[in-house]
Amino acid sequence: MLSEEYLVQQAVNGDQGAFTQLYNQNFDRIYRYIYVKVRNQTEAEDLTQDVFIKALESIGSYKWRNLPFAAWLFKIAHNRVIDHVRKVSKEKRASLDEAYAKSVEDPVQMTERNFEVYQLKEALEQLPGAQREVATLRFIGQLSIAEVAKTLGKSEGTVKALQFNATVSLRKALYGKLDG
Amino acid sequence: MARKLDDIFNECYERIRSGESLESCLMRYPEHRAELEPLLRTAFDIGRRTSYIQPRPEFKHWSRVRLEGAQHYAGQQRQPAKPSLFSWRQSWAVAVTAVLVLLLTGGSTVAASSNALPDEPLYQVKLATEQVRFAFAISDASKAELHTRLAENRALEIEAMTDQGKTEYAVIAAEKLANQLEQANLAMSKVESVRGEAAPSTTTPETTVTEPVPSAPPSQPGEVTEEQPTPTEGQPTPPTATTQDKGVTAKTEHFKKSLEKSTSKSLTALENALEKAPPQAKPNLQRAINIISERSHEKPPNENGTGGWGNGDKHEDKDGGKNGADSNGKKEDKPTPVTPEPSQPTTQNEDKTGNGGIYPFHRQSSQ
Repeated sequence: MLSEEYLVQQAVNGDQGAFTQLYNQNFDRIYRYIYVKVRNQTEAEDLTQDVFIKALESIGSYKWRNLPFAAWLFKIAHNRVIDHVRKVSKEKRASLDEAYAKSVEDPVQMTERNFEVYQLKEALEQLPGAQREVATLRFIGQLSIAEVAKTLGKSEGTVKALQFNATVSLRKALYGKLDG
Repeated sequence: MARKLDDIFNECYERIRSGESLESCLMRYPEHRAELEPLLRTAFDIGRRTSYIQPRPEFKHWSRVRLEGAQHYAGQQRQPAKPSLFSWRQSWAVAVTAVLVLLLTGGSTVAASSNALPDEPLYQVKLATEQVRFAFAISDASKAELHTRLAENRALEIEAMTDQGKTEYAVIAAEKLANQLEQANLAMSKVESVRGEAAPSTTTPETTVTEPVPSAPPSQPGEVTEEQPTPTEGQPTPPTATTQDKGVTAKTEHFKKSLEKSTSKSLTALENALEKAPPQAKPNLQRAINIISERSHEKPPNENGTGGWGNGDKHEDKDGGKNGADSNGKKEDKPTPVTPEPSQPTTQNEDKTGNGGIYPFHRQSSQ
């Protein structure tokens, strides 16, 4: 498998295949990250597409500085989400998504999954901002500790502490207890 | 000095992600077992829940088609070896993509898509071709006109979908209509502000609009700086309005009327559908009605103060975790839609997401 650095370099040099490969590797997790943040499928789709268009536009000036490509994408995604959230009021952010909850073979299973995702989003909402950002990048974006640290401009130790505290809080929010 | 628990937790999380079993990892740290186990289960349960969030396959497909079109265009632009290879506008990228769609699918497909409804496969082609039209709408007036026409399309779609009882698709079209209304208002406000500036007796300050620059550093990809022109409230309209001014005014008035008509038509359709809809569909319809009502009445958005990297938490915290609360402070959001892989079992021990979203434990209700 080609190293990410090589792929990125190829993409920077205009290799369309390399960029497509990076796109394929990161599309789903960028979508999930945005979806959990904006809580609306249509908006998540628009923003996800926007992130990759921005990435394509900017990749010519991308410099490999040991910052993983995914972290760079998440930065773009983060900024797009912030812009979007600032623009759209809370009420307008209220989900219209149930419209999509139809592509199910088993409605019971679908409802159960929907509810679990809903619970997760609610639990994330309750976290302090820094914990939420780390938990989202780490558990949903699947970035490594080092990548999260670089993305957020924090030390790895700080990120580990935030990750731990976020997990404790999420456990409380999801299951209502700390142990067992 | 003893290792910190957060460090041990992270080590175990990484080990399990790499394939080690939970039990094996816990045996390394028996003194922390009681604390570690539930937290590790929680971390992987989050991964499991996250794996249910999947982009719609058709969205993924069209997104890639658009991006490949954009890449193709960028490749062509690269030929003359200009210094700013990627400084093309997004709208052009979309335009070229849609042309690509045209070439790939044939003109008849695009033509056939012009009347496609949101529940039809060609609807995505219709949306793509609409984007092409935006690429060629250079002036604010032409943008306003186009948004107005597309709002008419959305209104027709809402009517058709509610007539057919497909409220979920009506809601999708309603969301898009809300966006058209906002964009149309914005374009018209720009048209009017330019007209105001040109008027001889007004002293409106110069308007500077810096659109999101495609080649801007990624740290601030959506930055928008706009000095909104100060409205000249209380000042009389210049007595010697030019013929051109009158023409612009007539046009914007026409657009406004058309938008009102589209809004009214859509709201009527949605309200009728709301009356007949089953209880589970009502919240969505109500929200769709609300969002269209709000957008139709609101003033054009001020694009100042868009976010930069690193300060988003402060903003988001303003919600206090109460997003989606209604006027009574009560949460109204329902389980949000996800489009899971149909074949994906609820309980799984493997990553089916393709990006490491693993959940290595069997689901336990006792969590």
